[in-house]
Amino acid sequence: MSTGVRARNESAWLLPNDGTRTDHRLRRDMRRFSDDDEVDLVIVGCGAGGSVLAQRLARAGWRVVALDAGPFWDPDTDWVSDEAGSHHLYWTDPRVITGADPVPLGSNNSGRGVGGSMVHYAGYTPRFHPSDFSTLRDDGVGADWPFGYEELRPYYAAIEQELPVAGEYWPWGDPHGYPHRPHPVGGNGELFLRGAGKLGITAKVGPVAIANGRFGNRPHCIYRGFCLQGCKVNAKASPLITHIPDALAHGAEVRADAMVTRVGMDERTGRATGVHYVSGGASRFQRAAMVAIAGYSIETPRLLLNSASPRYPDGLCNEFDQVGRYLMVQGAPQTAGRFDAEVRMYKAPPPEVSTEEFYETDPAKEYKRGFAVQTVSPLPITWAEHVAAQGHWGRALRDYMSDYVHWACLGSLCEFLPLAGNRVTLADETDSYGLPVARFAYSQCDNDKALVTAAQHVMEDILTAAGADEVITIKRYAHLVGGARMAKDARHGVVDGSCRTFAVPNLYITDGSVLPTQGSANPALTIMAVAARAADHLISGARRGAG
Amino acid sequence: MSHGPVTAPDPQGRFPGFVVMRQSPSWDGVTALTIRSRVAPPPAPRFFTAAEQVTARALAGQLLGQPHDGLGVPVMEMIDARLADGQTDGWRYEDMPEDGQAWRDTLAHLDTDAKERSGAGFADCEGSEQAAIVQAVQDLGSRDWHGLPAGHVWSLWTRYACTALYAHPTAWDEIGFSGPAYPRGYKNIGVDAREPFEVRDARPAQDPVRERL
Repeated sequence: MSTGVRARNESAWLLPNDGTRTDHRLRRDMRRFSDDDEVDLVIVGCGAGGSVLAQRLARAGWRVVALDAGPFWDPDTDWVSDEAGSHHLYWTDPRVITGADPVPLGSNNSGRGVGGSMVHYAGYTPRFHPSDFSTLRDDGVGADWPFGYEELRPYYAAIEQELPVAGEYWPWGDPHGYPHRPHPVGGNGELFLRGAGKLGITAKVGPVAIANGRFGNRPHCIYRGFCLQGCKVNAKASPLITHIPDALAHGAEVRADAMVTRVGMDERTGRATGVHYVSGGASRFQRAAMVAIAGYSIETPRLLLNSASPRYPDGLCNEFDQVGRYLMVQGAPQTAGRFDAEVRMYKAPPPEVSTEEFYETDPAKEYKRGFAVQTVSPLPITWAEHVAAQGHWGRALRDYMSDYVHWACLGSLCEFLPLAGNRVTLADETDSYGLPVARFAYSQCDNDKALVTAAQHVMEDILTAAGADEVITIKRYAHLVGGARMAKDARHGVVDGSCRTFAVPNLYITDGSVLPTQGSANPALTIMAVAARAADHLISGARRGAG
Repeated sequence: MSHGPVTAPDPQGRFPGFVVMRQSPSWDGVTALTIRSRVAPPPAPRFFTAAEQVTARALAGQLLGQPHDGLGVPVMEMIDARLADGQTDGWRYEDMPEDGQAWRDTLAHLDTDAKERSGAGFADCEGSEQAAIVQAVQDLGSRDWHGLPAGHVWSLWTRYACTALYAHPTAWDEIGFSGPAYPRGYKNIGVDAREPFEVRDARPAQDPVRERL
């Protein structure tokens, strides 16, 4: 199987196999375009969506430049096995949060640099279920995608091989296997499996984008537990190692430390002409025949809004007031259980075991849609948030913290519904570039709240069945999707099913912001699959904005 | 809920003899540099004024049960360094000023409360007085405290304070956390499995929850 992958994405074989992690020569010899070259495509953001698009189109012979506001990471020198020392992995430019249920950003959900948020995601890569694509039709909530699961299935399978994903045979949604076998589990996963087993809840090991066995020149996971701090091993997948190397080898340029400030537009023709960006303190403009924005759910809407002009006074693609709306986070309560035995959940990757038994709408419940439950294994700083959230401070906080090795921790992903009022707008405050920062408002609906309560009960039951004598819960959020969603027409969304904006024929959005619903799945795999599908559409006909 | 004032640190730790810095020779170079710089004497504060330093140190001591002669982690200095560098969490609540200003404002409000209560600045109050002032802020929940939502003030304080303390190897020793693990990794994962250098909890039944029931 791996030779099949290599023929279409050689990234893992382009990395060094000498114990270092970065393909320095590939980067040094990278093709470089001039600002005045009208490249076929300029991409804004080198995360899950942007990197896959760059790799696919470079392979197809397109002249591609991909810009990222952050650095071109070298895991050997830029990343550490340390929580506080990993602060630079997150997007920490100013942002304002508000609403009835404000959602913290930064380390929680926002990446920076080449690889994007997948540099610090846990590594879970479940597929969406077929039902996620038609929740409005079938459940009367959420939205329907312009296409169904079947359209995405081959892209899911392809990306799962490229990451690659390890896990047991997956019985939920569209049942499928994974290219790599499941990893051994640590104390946290062991207790989840024990508790679920006692309750008759099916739980499975996986699916995680962590190579189990050597993959190309990427080594086996060493179970050091710092997945969320960037994988220094090159075992956990991120586009930095899964798609960017192959893109470079096929002539794409990755221009790091380049913050795009607005999309260039020809006001007469209504076509995009490239992107304005700041690099090394200088304002520059990259010409391009086509632009793809992949800045994720906060920065993509912000860029569209900041690209306002006389012809587009309310922001680009915003004629119908859709930009920034229907932004979703998943309700992600985490419940921890206390065991007299030592769990030491910091050993082994945080992503180990999941159940999707509660993913679908259960007609017996008063709420629609559902949630997934997964292991999470907070390190000490994050664990202190759990303890502080119980109201403890002072000596009591320290006493609780000294008990750290005895706790196991599960997290839920609850399918919060897309709501028009949950959105990004521009704040009065400006950032270091002088641009208005994003203001992100979030409020939960009753269905959202009911899911969080139900998920908490399930996690409490599992941990108690495993032998926990006490459980504590912290209510929090995970992931971002939506904000520039796909729809059947411009009155209901920003892009069509191929990720092309309704408003500008040569402007695409290829990141998580196009997702109309989110299911209870971690979004990375789906963002990549949607970008790969959009790439196929472009390759098969829309080159240079034709069609 | 009772939270308790500052007391002396537990002289008998739960992980006797466990000193995480002894593992530092096994850490990769950049990680070791990061952690070693953290245990070195902290640089002089650059953000807080002299008066703010005194109040911030007292507040951090209260929030973390860390008296000056106890665990000895320079929490105030670590918070100061973040604020001086503008190293925020990447967001702020709309009803709060940006983090640096929010710290300055809330430290001043603490002194105001202390003077009203005891006629002295916060840092000059008895420990029990300080604890009562801090508890009063927490007890406000989402209500107003000097024009700010108390819950968001509490979030700011505890986020910065906990991030500082639990970044420090001395705190890792106290909780039995083994710290960085690259390129070594872990060999013995699973319930009640330890690496040769990890120390078993000497008091596994010291469940803080159970003790409070």
